[in-house]
Amino acid sequence: MAKFNAETVKLLGRELFDYEFSDEAAASVAHIIGAMANYSRRLHGIGLVGMQPPFAYPTLRAEADRIRRIF
Amino acid sequence: MSNHAEILGFDVATLAEKIRTKQLSPIEITNAYLERIDALDQKILAYITVTADNARGAARRAEDEIMGGNWRGPFHGVPIALKDLCNTRAVLTTGGSKILGDFVPNFDCTVWARLREAGAILLGKLNLHEFASGATNTNPHWGTCRNPYNLERIPGGSSGGSGAAIAAKMAAATIGTDTGGSIRIPAAFCGCVGMKQTWGRVSRYGVMPLADSLDHAGPITRTVRDAAMMLQVIAGHDPHDSTSSNEPVPDYVQGLNGDLKGVRVGIIKELLTGLSDEVAHAFNVALRQLRILGADVDEVSIPHIEMSSTIATNIMFAEAAEYHEQWMRTRAHEYGQDVRRMLEAGMMTPAIYYVRAQRSRAAILAETLKALDNFTVLTAPTAAIPAPCIDVGGRALSDGGEPVDMVAAVLRFTAPFNVTGQPALALPTGLSPNGLPVSMQIIGKPFDETTVFQVADAYERARGPLAEPNL
Repeated sequence: MAKFNAETVKLLGRELFDYEFSDEAAASVAHIIGAMANYSRRLHGIGLVGMQPPFAYPTLRAEADRIRRIF
Repeated sequence: MSNHAEILGFDVATLAEKIRTKQLSPIEITNAYLERIDALDQKILAYITVTADNARGAARRAEDEIMGGNWRGPFHGVPIALKDLCNTRAVLTTGGSKILGDFVPNFDCTVWARLREAGAILLGKLNLHEFASGATNTNPHWGTCRNPYNLERIPGGSSGGSGAAIAAKMAAATIGTDTGGSIRIPAAFCGCVGMKQTWGRVSRYGVMPLADSLDHAGPITRTVRDAAMMLQVIAGHDPHDSTSSNEPVPDYVQGLNGDLKGVRVGIIKELLTGLSDEVAHAFNVALRQLRILGADVDEVSIPHIEMSSTIATNIMFAEAAEYHEQWMRTRAHEYGQDVRRMLEAGMMTPAIYYVRAQRSRAAILAETLKALDNFTVLTAPTAAIPAPCIDVGGRALSDGGEPVDMVAAVLRFTAPFNVTGQPALALPTGLSPNGLPVSMQIIGKPFDETTVFQVADAYERARGPLAEPNL
């Protein structure tokens, strides 16, 4: 994440969200995301291979059924 | 006929019995609470909206029904209040924000619909950290809610108004929401009971989200029994919320009043560090009390539990940013500084980190379930410190004037059980030497709220009443 600095934040904000980060916000967010990157790598270390995310098909179906009733 | 001080001193269980037996009238009770709010709330700011006229009307209807022999149950005629994140038909619902400063929904969230059907009377809508996005309840739009035990201290958040209203006797029971600890933190700082039940146990329909996969709506009350009674009303599947569970809802109240013989309580070893002296002392006294009550108490390890704050904040940032994206594009300047910063970080959170955080949840839950193979419930402090001092910009200050790291002080203790979705109840372990409440959590197996209530109730009865704030 060496390149993920305030300028990158500003550029992505503009390109992805049409959003202007202030200098201070961009620096702060770059710091937060940098820390998050470190933690995320550490999370990988707890042994996630083969572990499913909690996005269950029954929930997907139930939500679709609910929405279908509304429309 | 009772005087107002006496009425305000009753918990929901006592009020319910007095209403059922017609010793007390819902009108009398509601008037007592409205007068209390009128007298005190200008210095506490627990309420954003007080629905006095509606409450009086509802109290009259409740009285007529009860006098006509139609008592609906323990919440009939009992005045309660809701965090202002809960949509209520024809009543201003701000989310504690400027953006929704004049929003009046045309529907009720399910939690309120069920309480209303049970006969509860709505006193009003309670202050919170803007959009539930912080733990201090420092609110730049509606005023900073204050802790009734010390007006210079935060009540905790995000459901600060819900905790403060209970502590100041400005509602008989309240609803809060909890994404990383927002029911349990104000319960801890304001000397209340806060129940974050299993994820999916209570419908989130009509409650504004912070992060859907971590959000819960639940009770903040004076006693464990009141929390059990309130959960009884709001729990259960809701066709409007596809994530609400079909698990049957047991009788939470029936098993109360027991002892702890045969109960095994596991102290989470990793959450015993970094505690202030007053929290550590009170927690140790509480553990001793659990042993006296017959529980077998021992330490247990949950090796990766400390990763939970990171997992929770990562998920929270990403899901909150998705919900708020349109407003961030067009009305970003209307957010408070701290909330805007969180959403800005969420906009930049890579999807890879978000999915990885979601996948990690099963690993943390597996570890806590393994710990529960040998224990009936787990326990840990609710926060490392008593309520810190109020500062501006969403922050809190230590007694020495330094900014408090709220992740280390509170989220570290509460967020693990949003990550795992298990039931976790916060209840007071006493007051610190400078008169501030301190608290512990009782954590159970998924959907085993009954056991959590039983253990907490036994401890609470042994602990005795908590000293009230001097208002």
